[in-house]
Amino acid sequence: MIRYIAARLLSIMLTFLVVSVIIFLMMHAVPGGPFDGNDMPVSDAVKAKLNASLGLDKPLYVQYFKYMWGVLQFDFGVPFQSPGETVLELLARAWPPSLILGGLGVLIGAPLGILLGMAAALRRNTWIDYLASAVATIGLTIPVYVTSMMLILVFAVWLGWLPASGWGKPNSWILPIIAYATIPLATYARYTRSAMLDVLNKPFVTVLRAKGLPERKIIFQHVLRNAALPMATVFLPMFIGTATGSIFVEAMFRVPGLGAYFVSSIELRDYSLEMALILMITMMFCVSYLLSDIAYALLNPRIRVGGGEQ
Amino acid sequence: MRLVDIQNLTVNFPQHEGTVQAVRGVSFHLDSGESLGIVGESGSGKSVTCMALLRLLREPPGRITADRMALAGENMLTVDRRKLATMRGRVAAMVFQDPMTAFDPVFTIGHQIIETIQAHRSVSNAEAKAEAASLLAKVEIKNPSAMLESYPHQLSGGMLQRAMIAMALSCRPQILVADEPTTALDVTIQAQILQLIKGLQAELGMGLIMITHDLGVIAETVDRVVVMYGGRVMEVGPVQSIFDNPLHPYTKALLRSIPGQTPGRHRLIEISGGSPSPIHPPAGCPFHPRCEYADAKCKETPPFMAVAENRHAACWRLQ
Amino acid sequence: MTPALELRGLNKSFHLKTKGGLFPRYTELKAVRDVNLVLPTNSIIGLVGESGSGKSTTGMLAMRLLEPTSGHIFVDGTDITKLDHVALKPFRRKMQVVFQDSYSALDPMMTLQQIVAEPLHIHNIGISSDQKTEALNMLERVGLDRRYGGRYSHELSGGQRQRVAIARALILKPSVLVADEPTSALDVSVKAQIINLLLDLQKERGLSILFISHDLSVVRALTDEVAVMCDGRIVERAATETIFTTPRHPYTRALLDAIPVLNPRNRRTRTFLTREQINKATPRLRSTELAEKCEPKVEPQLVPISPNHHVEAIVT
Repeated sequence: MIRYIAARLLSIMLTFLVVSVIIFLMMHAVPGGPFDGNDMPVSDAVKAKLNASLGLDKPLYVQYFKYMWGVLQFDFGVPFQSPGETVLELLARAWPPSLILGGLGVLIGAPLGILLGMAAALRRNTWIDYLASAVATIGLTIPVYVTSMMLILVFAVWLGWLPASGWGKPNSWILPIIAYATIPLATYARYTRSAMLDVLNKPFVTVLRAKGLPERKIIFQHVLRNAALPMATVFLPMFIGTATGSIFVEAMFRVPGLGAYFVSSIELRDYSLEMALILMITMMFCVSYLLSDIAYALLNPRIRVGGGEQ
Repeated sequence: MRLVDIQNLTVNFPQHEGTVQAVRGVSFHLDSGESLGIVGESGSGKSVTCMALLRLLREPPGRITADRMALAGENMLTVDRRKLATMRGRVAAMVFQDPMTAFDPVFTIGHQIIETIQAHRSVSNAEAKAEAASLLAKVEIKNPSAMLESYPHQLSGGMLQRAMIAMALSCRPQILVADEPTTALDVTIQAQILQLIKGLQAELGMGLIMITHDLGVIAETVDRVVVMYGGRVMEVGPVQSIFDNPLHPYTKALLRSIPGQTPGRHRLIEISGGSPSPIHPPAGCPFHPRCEYADAKCKETPPFMAVAENRHAACWRLQ
Repeated sequence: MTPALELRGLNKSFHLKTKGGLFPRYTELKAVRDVNLVLPTNSIIGLVGESGSGKSTTGMLAMRLLEPTSGHIFVDGTDITKLDHVALKPFRRKMQVVFQDSYSALDPMMTLQQIVAEPLHIHNIGISSDQKTEALNMLERVGLDRRYGGRYSHELSGGQRQRVAIARALILKPSVLVADEPTSALDVSVKAQIINLLLDLQKERGLSILFISHDLSVVRALTDEVAVMCDGRIVERAATETIFTTPRHPYTRALLDAIPVLNPRNRRTRTFLTREQINKATPRLRSTELAEKCEPKVEPQLVPISPNHHVEAIVT
């Protein structure tokens, strides 16, 4: 197990390096630079001076190593679009709203989705099952900005119960979080239902019933534990993936989160910020896949204990 | 004592294309300490009958009706959930066909036997564990304590089927229902498992229902035989007289078609045609489209006739 | 006379991953060890054994569906072991196979007539309309009405699907048919039909069949000769009735002893030998007792105790 984790950590580092090189090259392969924008006309001489001051005149590999050397010391540079702060300071300011939005959205949506999926699987072909299918289908097919718009229309414009936008008092959080929660809710409901049904159709469930085990024990101990296996591989990455929030929801509700910076850093050739954001996401995905693999191995005796044929 | 009493059992599964009539008016009984074989091909309704008895079918879509379906005196048609859970495993325990898929893969064998014991009796973990080990020793497992700690994927089919039998015996059931317990196993292991089941049945005085497609298994293990075809009982009788003097043309044909009874390469006596459709079964005797003696009368359902002492069969020719 | 199929010194090893991770470890599993088998033309040979005995692997090797680790395969006297894809094609016509699970072996999107005609199409035999007629004739020969030509495999019962698989295998008029447990998934009443069909087709076409099965009763009715496999080796080989009446190897005896007796009057309690006990009971023969001279060896070897009866023994 320890060997396995060590091997995985090594491969994460490699992935991280490869991604950083690819992203760095792609960023610089896009024509233009930070000072080519039309709304900020600068003369070529000034541009050259600015580029030199930021080290942008150096060869690419020098820039790459300089940046990565900084990263190792937790120095992600200065965002060109807001030079008054460092990238880290910008993240510290803009990430919390995204984290709250994404995190709370998942914390609310995921358990509801799991419960809905379980209920649907246990009450197959009843109204609960049909409701769950409807919710899942709607949640997965209607884009989140449409959901957001409808929420704003109903609860902010017509009923006037909640503010339509902003991120001030906690009551302004409610609508964006609900809008965001529909995504994990729908996805988790679907996965849970199919994972549970898969297990419920296994012969060993009939054996458990034939032994006279109470249904409650069969479901909560055996079926859930088995269904958790395929669920672990899907859920954890999804869970952590959501910690970055949603660009669309943030835009619809004008939440001052990270979402906007994903777009603007690319648009404005804000290299330092762009690199930092992508490396952060890469790292989070790598770690979450590692965690889900470990969870899978811990849940599955075939891997945990080994042995057996084939 | 009458352990199982089934009269006129019908099991239907409504489906898109029509209703699957899995069991169509089956009656039989089992007395304590007796061993009964139910023999039939796939689709004959033999497994569904026993699953219905323990109410293990999904209802709906499954629909069970019967004049009587009693297990150890309890009416299984009206039994409530709680009572059902105490009957299963304790009054009647089951052994299934494929031991490789019969255990929960994420728990140890020990855990699964212990939870069975504790589902029916309040014993401490240590007591249950000791009992599980002695059960495994009883089914001739060499190293019971190692097996308790094993996961299903670490064991062979034969070992798992032994563990399965141990688990079935853990609550000292009055009846053991074995549904094709050897079909998925190797030839030599099959014989070992059959001998084990037979020995335990005699030793513990249990009733045994052996469900199988294999007349060889029947000849080796049971006292009395129910022959099923197309959801109906064709013939019932003591095992010896069924083999010596089969009454129903289906039983006769089945016994004749078994290969390897005479030396030398030879053509077999085959039964022409295929199994009846479960959705549109033939009118009357389900075997009549394949029967060499069939005539017009066979399109009406033959009564279940007493032909001799303990011998019953459903065929017009016996009238 | 040249045998239809001959296996000479065939070995096959698989490498099983026993430890994963960055530095995986493999163990060698010898699935087939030094198998020698002759399938004379116009005969049926049974290859018998339990799961893991290597009998199916041997069948796959004979068909060159798996590559042997060492050894040779002869078809009609030609060594096909090293032939490449192109050179092998004419031999593929001569060797066909039928598996246990015909459900997954038949394309669900094709009509039965298309399924049966496909080999003709692959080997460019005849024009399309002839292929069609021939396929329908073949279906009729295996006992399926010509009307079935337009149907799909999911509309059939297990026995009918096995008939289609046999029709497809035989439409190229092969000289060798490898049948891997073709009756094991079938109901008792249908099993006899398929066995009879194989017997009739064998006689009619002068086929040679390698019949792989764990079901000794079927093997007795169908075959001329039997080879018993255990742990990848052939431990006994003789005419079918010799195997059933005077088996010499302890493993063959254990297999035969396990067959249920079809008379309740003859019930008995059996004693079962473990693998170790069977291995210990390997016959010890003096070289003078053999039909041919053999070198004495410490390891067991397959030796002739009469011209037509080979058994694995330790020769002293």
